[in-house]
Amino acid sequence: MASLSTSLLTAVQALVADTGALQVTNNNIANASTPGYSRQVAILQEAAPTEDGSSSVGNGVVLEGYQSVRDELVQAQIQQETQAQSGANAQLASMQQIQPTFTTSTQDIGTEMSAMFSSFSSLSTNPASTSEGEAVLTAGQNLATAFNTASNTLTSQQAGLNTQVTQDVSQINKLTQQIAALNPQIAQLNATGQDGGTVQDQENQLVLSLSALTSVAVTQTDNGETLTTGNGTPLVVGSQSFALQSTTGSNGMQHVLDHNGADITASLTTGDLGGTIQTRDQTVSGLLGQLDTLANQFGSAINAAQAKGFNQSGTAGQNFFNIPSTVAGSAASISVAITAPTQIASSSDGTAGSNGNLANLSAVQTTALPAGQTPGDTYASLVYQVGSLTSNANAESGATTASLLQLNDQLSSVSGVSIDEESTNLITFQTAYQAAARVVSTVQELFSITLAMGTAAAE
Amino acid sequence: MVPDIQYSMQQSQQALSAALQQVSTGLRVNQPSDDPAAAANMVSSLAESANVDQYTRNVSFVLPQMQTADSAISAVVTSLSSAVTLGTSGASGTDSAANRQALASQTAGLLSSVISQANTTFQGAYVFGGLSSSTPPFVPASSSFTSTQGSVLIPLTATLPLTAGSVTTVSDAATGKTFEFTVIAGEDISSLSTAIEEAASTGTLSAGTTATINANGQLSIGTNSSSAGIVVHSNDPALGSMSATPGTEVANAYAYVGQSNVNSVQVGDSMSIATNIPGDRLFTSGANVIGSLNGLINALQSGTSDQIGAASSAVSAALNYVSQQRVPLDNNISQMNDQESYLGQEKVTLSTQQSALVGVNLADAATNLSQAELTNSAVLAAAAKVIPQTLLDYLK
Repeated sequence: MASLSTSLLTAVQALVADTGALQVTNNNIANASTPGYSRQVAILQEAAPTEDGSSSVGNGVVLEGYQSVRDELVQAQIQQETQAQSGANAQLASMQQIQPTFTTSTQDIGTEMSAMFSSFSSLSTNPASTSEGEAVLTAGQNLATAFNTASNTLTSQQAGLNTQVTQDVSQINKLTQQIAALNPQIAQLNATGQDGGTVQDQENQLVLSLSALTSVAVTQTDNGETLTTGNGTPLVVGSQSFALQSTTGSNGMQHVLDHNGADITASLTTGDLGGTIQTRDQTVSGLLGQLDTLANQFGSAINAAQAKGFNQSGTAGQNFFNIPSTVAGSAASISVAITAPTQIASSSDGTAGSNGNLANLSAVQTTALPAGQTPGDTYASLVYQVGSLTSNANAESGATTASLLQLNDQLSSVSGVSIDEESTNLITFQTAYQAAARVVSTVQELFSITLAMGTAAAE
Repeated sequence: MVPDIQYSMQQSQQALSAALQQVSTGLRVNQPSDDPAAAANMVSSLAESANVDQYTRNVSFVLPQMQTADSAISAVVTSLSSAVTLGTSGASGTDSAANRQALASQTAGLLSSVISQANTTFQGAYVFGGLSSSTPPFVPASSSFTSTQGSVLIPLTATLPLTAGSVTTVSDAATGKTFEFTVIAGEDISSLSTAIEEAASTGTLSAGTTATINANGQLSIGTNSSSAGIVVHSNDPALGSMSATPGTEVANAYAYVGQSNVNSVQVGDSMSIATNIPGDRLFTSGANVIGSLNGLINALQSGTSDQIGAASSAVSAALNYVSQQRVPLDNNISQMNDQESYLGQEKVTLSTQQSALVGVNLADAATNLSQAELTNSAVLAAAAKVIPQTLLDYLK
């Protein structure tokens, strides 16, 4: 049978529950701007009713606990998209620095190349002229410098990316250690049926940071989260983290090894580390290879044309450009071999005044190199690739940014703190608290009346 | 909501700065990533522009030279016409010997004017010298040349080896041709003598041209032609330089010592033009201009009326020949004028192509800019309105 003291107990339980709910609201508002915070809700439950014969009376409310509101699927999508975005950003940052070298200017390879052919043509009007010959030498030197500069830009970019690999690996190792330290705490909370709460939020935030660095696959287990790289190399299992190592490979570049020492460099494709490695080993390396081939084949073609003729004193033409015997490194080391205008093989038969061989030198411009295209077209295709790679990286970065924004919106509509909603909750719980307090004071008054009844009878 | 607003602001600011860059540079493509295909096409188009510029400079270089050559030939034609008139007058048989001598010396004056035209220079280069444009192509001939080497003490002998690779040339004023002897290892002075005799028998040199060791022990190359002569050059140290034997200079005889080859200069992607005309083709081969004038002078000085008539017919034939040779030159000049205007148009076409590739229509760019400004202000205004708004504003 319901009694005053039961009512008082019910009211007190309500006060406790409302205080708890107010505390959750308070915490939510306090963390409204905390990155990675998942909004919490108080779990309120009806207390078991008291059976009284045929009727049952409710016994108020019980505060069961607190639950963070999460959407694991969206969280996983955000991690994946972050990997793609960081990869694209790594490529974009490099390409944006490489691009100016291949932009049409007064000093780019294309301009210097046509300046060299103009100087040949100009010399043909007066093959014995020292000043026209000097102009050819200068044009040759400018072109060699343009090749050197472009090669230098690419190799220094590669060196920068190489340093980034080492930094990324050490950053990844720090994060996996921190995640491994949090895993047991979450496992313990989960084992008792509780929500991971703040600890889970911290871990999610760390996994997100890790996703920005490399490809990560997350599996939920009883021992917390198991993390592996995209190809299955373990990073964190339970409370144990497995450190990656970086070591200098045979090509002088940093390679990434797993905890067993196996080389996993090529399998890393996303995240900053993946993007950095891809850009270093595929994009920049590919461009450098093509640039070297162009420098080597162009230099050889000019040298071959020189060899067909004679200088104005009748000496057979010597090499115009110094080029290394191997293609690799040609763009970096190409230089002008001849030192004086008199060494230009302008004469076709050694007759002084003849310009016959300059036609052979000029013909290099319109003759396909062994690689299949004319020097100008080969360079144009290089420019196209640089432009296209930059523009694609830019587009991918933009697309992933937009997609991440949407995913974050989606997550924040579930897990995010809405001030409006919390304000409403505040009012609701405040009112509920006030009402419960009113019940207490009402019961107190009723108690007073009841006690007064006894006193009046005694008098 | 805040990240969305920040994203919108970033986007609209990027659009604004891109629009601003387009207006300020006038270019739609400022870097390859703006339009990779256009940037690649620009590389080819700019190379073509550079070629067109160079072709234009080459035309400007060649054209005045050709015009100089043309006016020199024109002056030669005038001289030859005058010579024909003098010859016709001399052949009439009514002139006294003194008059004929006067006509001869007038003709000699015309010859020296022809020679000075034939040695015309343009900016220091001899227009009719073929490849050798730095030395006069027509020089006075002598009947005999002797070597520097071979004094009395160290006389040259027929078996003296010559220097391999060295070149000795004999230019003949009568045949208008040049005989060139390049020494092959093992050859000696007798080889040179034999070769010169062969050249004399095949007509490259006048009959009777010989190379012998003279009484002083020097090599002497000479011709027995009294009216024409030769010019000999040698770079063989075994012989030393060849110089005209004093007193053997032949009056009014000139030999061509230039080259028969010419240089070509590219003035279009598939168009080359010869920069000069070899003087031997114009003045000493075919109907030999200089030889015919020389013949007329000799005939006027000591010939019969018939001989003078024949000599003036030869000059007349030379006049026709030179006039014919002038035609291709005039054609080339008009072709160069056409090419010059074609290159001018090509330059405009390429510029148009380039601005279509990477340029921006200023009206469009300005519209884009004001559109971008408007969007940016709208985004900022919306952000200012939305961000501070919460339920708390309405709770009392």
